[in-house]
Amino acid sequence: MNNTLINAKNLSKIYGKENSAQVVAVNEVSMEIRRGEFVAIMGASGSGKSTLMNILGCLDKPTRGALFLDGSEVSKMDDEQLAKIRNQKIGFVFQSFNLLARTSALENVELPLIYSDKQDITKLAKEALQAVGLSDRLDHHPSELSGGQQQRVAVARALVNDPEIIFADEPTGNLDTRSSLEIIALFAELYKMGRTIVLVTHEPDIAAHTRRIIKIADGKIIADEENRLHGTWQK
Amino acid sequence: MAKLLRMKKIAYTGLGRNKLRTFLMMIGVVIGITALTLIISAGIGAQDRVMDRVKKFGLESMMVFAGGGREMGQPVSGGPVTTLTLRDAETIKREVRAVDEVAPFNRKGNSEIKYLGKSTTAAVFGITPSWAYVWDWDVRSGDFISEDDMDNLNRVCLIGPTVRKELFGNENPIGQQIRIGNVQFEIKGVMQPKGTSPGGGDMDNRVNIPLTTFMRRVANVDYIFGIKILLNSSGEMQQTAENISAILRERHTIAAGIPDDFRIVTPDEVTQFAEKVAGTFNIFFSLVAGIALIAGGVVVANIMLISVNERRREIGLRKAMGARSKDIKLQFLFEATAVTLAGGIIGIVLGGIGAQILKMITGMPVSISWEGIALGVVSSSLVGIIAGMQPASRAAKLQPVESLRS
Repeated sequence: MNNTLINAKNLSKIYGKENSAQVVAVNEVSMEIRRGEFVAIMGASGSGKSTLMNILGCLDKPTRGALFLDGSEVSKMDDEQLAKIRNQKIGFVFQSFNLLARTSALENVELPLIYSDKQDITKLAKEALQAVGLSDRLDHHPSELSGGQQQRVAVARALVNDPEIIFADEPTGNLDTRSSLEIIALFAELYKMGRTIVLVTHEPDIAAHTRRIIKIADGKIIADEENRLHGTWQK
Repeated sequence: MAKLLRMKKIAYTGLGRNKLRTFLMMIGVVIGITALTLIISAGIGAQDRVMDRVKKFGLESMMVFAGGGREMGQPVSGGPVTTLTLRDAETIKREVRAVDEVAPFNRKGNSEIKYLGKSTTAAVFGITPSWAYVWDWDVRSGDFISEDDMDNLNRVCLIGPTVRKELFGNENPIGQQIRIGNVQFEIKGVMQPKGTSPGGGDMDNRVNIPLTTFMRRVANVDYIFGIKILLNSSGEMQQTAENISAILRERHTIAAGIPDDFRIVTPDEVTQFAEKVAGTFNIFFSLVAGIALIAGGVVVANIMLISVNERRREIGLRKAMGARSKDIKLQFLFEATAVTLAGGIIGIVLGGIGAQILKMITGMPVSISWEGIALGVVSSSLVGIIAGMQPASRAAKLQPVESLRS
């Protein structure tokens, strides 16, 4: 089996029309992410790291360049095909949790399954909540959960479709230190279970838990190295 | 199917989250469908009543009225028309083969009727013994007017149940003397109740006297107001009307090209007239229902647009989770339709209750029909689909990244 999960070739994202003031958010980025990696994309705010993640996560399309996910060229796909890719191969965790209010934890986790062909969605959602240690909070609404618990629900939602890769955009940005550590420990555990995780952050403390750190500035990769604290990138 | 059930689940959770907004979206549709249900209930009730009346009038009968050129429902203009006579009625009966029996009559509205100290106002009809057979309207107690009464210009009368109630209460009126104007009459019988006429008048608030007595002693005229004609069969209706017309034109010496001085009314015309009246009523209320539904639709569309705008994050999230544009579109269409359909069902129930109240208060006939319920369900769903279309398309077009960022 091909070990390369994501292969990006000269990805650029340019805002604004030609011949006017253009903003280059991502500039000719090429990179590879292999299965089972735990990667941090680091950079200051405005460095283009979130835009890059959105492109890698098929939420946004590159202006130029080619992107392959799991062997298929997603940069050539239409909206409907991309929706299917997001549904089947990608899980997202956001900074602001993005849970539906007044909706139970269980129903929030069921959300991606509603758009899939899978059966027994309640059973799958319960298993995902169990995996993040929230089996006793199935019927709680987001307002009845702590920030850390809400983010764990979001992680369960990202896991429930059994995706190839999980993207997390500043997942600890809205959390206190203790909850942040809980969440990062949860990601580390998922990594040990073989999940591929890409984490976008500007906090070195958080990035330190990953196995590979890609640094971005002005839309370009300025460093891409193994996190020596943890030895090798791969298990 | 399973997917549709999932969609339903999403839509309802979406609606449950803002109950006030859902209520506001519903209200216009509720009003529109309530009005619509009322109209249909009243309309079908009116139609039933017309058919009932036509049956009462008799499918195998027609009327000849004195005076020509007058449309049904229009008031009689000018003075009394003096051209139609008892002899005309006799000739029609004798010469037209399809005629079974004729009942010529004259009448006088709002006459004062007195009994001892009491008095009431009723219509006075001059009728013949054939009346009971032609109208299928006999006495409930006592005796009908006889040929003898006709020949001798007897001062006898038959009172309607309303007159009886007004003047006699529980007393037996038969054999008692009442005064019509200044003439004294003996009560021979009490008529069977007949209810209201197609025009809304009380057909039981009448005093019937022999037609000859009416013409000589009460009104002092030598003409009649109309003739009801009973036919042997309804098949020859049009032909018979033409024959009668020809006879009357000849008897009244009307030259070719001069209009009739009488008018023949067949059950068809009665039905058509009633439909015309009902039609005017229906147009008015359909307009009310239509405007309410359009206004309701505009409200739904606008609130949906606000809702789409406020739920950009949710839409972005759903797209990030794999919802396709058409899933989002379907969700918002579903939400809009669920609201208007619920409003429609509430409207049908309210309209049904309103129709019953209308019936109790005004005595207007109403009837709840499957057609009315189906029309309510279909039109409220249509309002939802049409009103939801634009907001749903707008929601579907949102790009995941931009909406998540907002």
